[in-house]
Amino acid sequence: MSDIAAFWLDSLPQLLAGLSISLQVTGAALAIGFPLGLLLALGVQSKVKAVKLPSLCLVEIGRGAPALVVLQFAYFGLPQGGLTLSAFAAAVFALAWNTGAYTSEIIRAGLESVPFGEIEAASAMGMLPRDTLRFVIIPQGLRVAAPALLGFAVAVLQATSLCFAIALPELTSNAYMIGTITFRYMEILSLAGILYAAICVPATIAVGVLEQRLGKHAL
Amino acid sequence: MNHIPDTVNLSRMHPVGEPDKPILRLEAIRKKFGEHVVLDDVNISLKSGEVVAIIGPSGSGKSTLLRCVNMLGPATSGRVVIGDLVIDEAVPPTAQQLTQLRRSVGMVFQSFNLFPHMSVLRNVSLPQERVLGRSRKDANKRSLELLARVGLEDKADQYPARCSGGQQQRIAIARALALEPQIMLFDEPTSALDPELGLEVLAVMQELARSGMTMLVVTHEMNFAETVSDRVIIMADGKIIEEGASREVIRNPTSDRAKRFLKAVKDR
Repeated sequence: MSDIAAFWLDSLPQLLAGLSISLQVTGAALAIGFPLGLLLALGVQSKVKAVKLPSLCLVEIGRGAPALVVLQFAYFGLPQGGLTLSAFAAAVFALAWNTGAYTSEIIRAGLESVPFGEIEAASAMGMLPRDTLRFVIIPQGLRVAAPALLGFAVAVLQATSLCFAIALPELTSNAYMIGTITFRYMEILSLAGILYAAICVPATIAVGVLEQRLGKHAL
Repeated sequence: MNHIPDTVNLSRMHPVGEPDKPILRLEAIRKKFGEHVVLDDVNISLKSGEVVAIIGPSGSGKSTLLRCVNMLGPATSGRVVIGDLVIDEAVPPTAQQLTQLRRSVGMVFQSFNLFPHMSVLRNVSLPQERVLGRSRKDANKRSLELLARVGLEDKADQYPARCSGGQQQRIAIARALALEPQIMLFDEPTSALDPELGLEVLAVMQELARSGMTMLVVTHEMNFAETVSDRVIIMADGKIIEEGASREVIRNPTSDRAKRFLKAVKDR
């Protein structure tokens, strides 16, 4: 038992360095992906074809293609077209697209949950559509979408483990590397799992708390 | 001066500046959903300060008519005239026309439609800031005056969910009044409220009527129609079947359809 503890302790710095990269990729992917999701949600609802069709394409490809394929496309495929991305940039590109595509649907559902009567009242008062969107629809829609969005954020952190495939030294890659050297896969992957859970379980609980708080002013 | 029936097109008969010039005219409003005619040649004219109640059975087109006035649901044909603003229902209005129309006409809905994520004060102030361009400070000042007028200044910092239905509707009235409309439309403002809460809303409306606001009120409140409004219009099947002085219309309807409707209401 103390043998495992010593092994874990030895490996921990390298895994924490990996976790740090996983979190950075997650943070960057969400920072780009959530706003992208909002834009795509609005774009898909647009009456202007030149906005609607590209939005729809981005959403459907992002949702239709497995994240691993997009990831490898960004890292191995794009250089052929003249665009070489670092492993980190490719990871952010792929996961941000994936996040944007999936969260656009979550956000769209949130925006559509805002009662039509409120939109009508705003319109009857002479508020411009963009003001209604900004002050009435988006704040309430995002509140409805927030728990699902944060749930998705947890899933994105787990999806960063796919970056193992493009040699990004994130948590899973580092754990695997230690495994290849020590052949103690079981112990090292368990520790990696614990580290993921150490972030994801509290995050999931926080989402639940947030969900209750956000429902406070619901009519 | 000759008496002119209110439903007659007055456009050429009353030159600009005439004191009795109507503030709002609905001319030949028709609306069809496919083959189904919901409004059939409706003409209504309101003088400044006049309170007109529209009553009638469900499905008679009362609310639909109200929504034609501010183009929330444009009619198939007809015109809405407010001062020098002429809206052709059949043609999409320009942005400028629509802004002018919506600023002239305030509306209160059956379901209040407050913004639940904003405090009561924000609910009343935000539209003033965005539509009239008032500063936050001026808007809040005006909001507090109006909330006091509807008896709810102490609710300013609450959220709508913490207010009763009657309070929410009074806030909705304050919110509409804050935009200084010339005309107020009420679409069954008490229908979602229990009778007691309805009374406090009716009291606010009565005060508003006394203060000289021009009001077009779709309602099932016969007492309000009879005692507060100057005129009553009875609609059935998309048409005006009877109209005139409130007491007269409600006490002594002439058409069979109106008699039947009023009997049903009174026998409840």
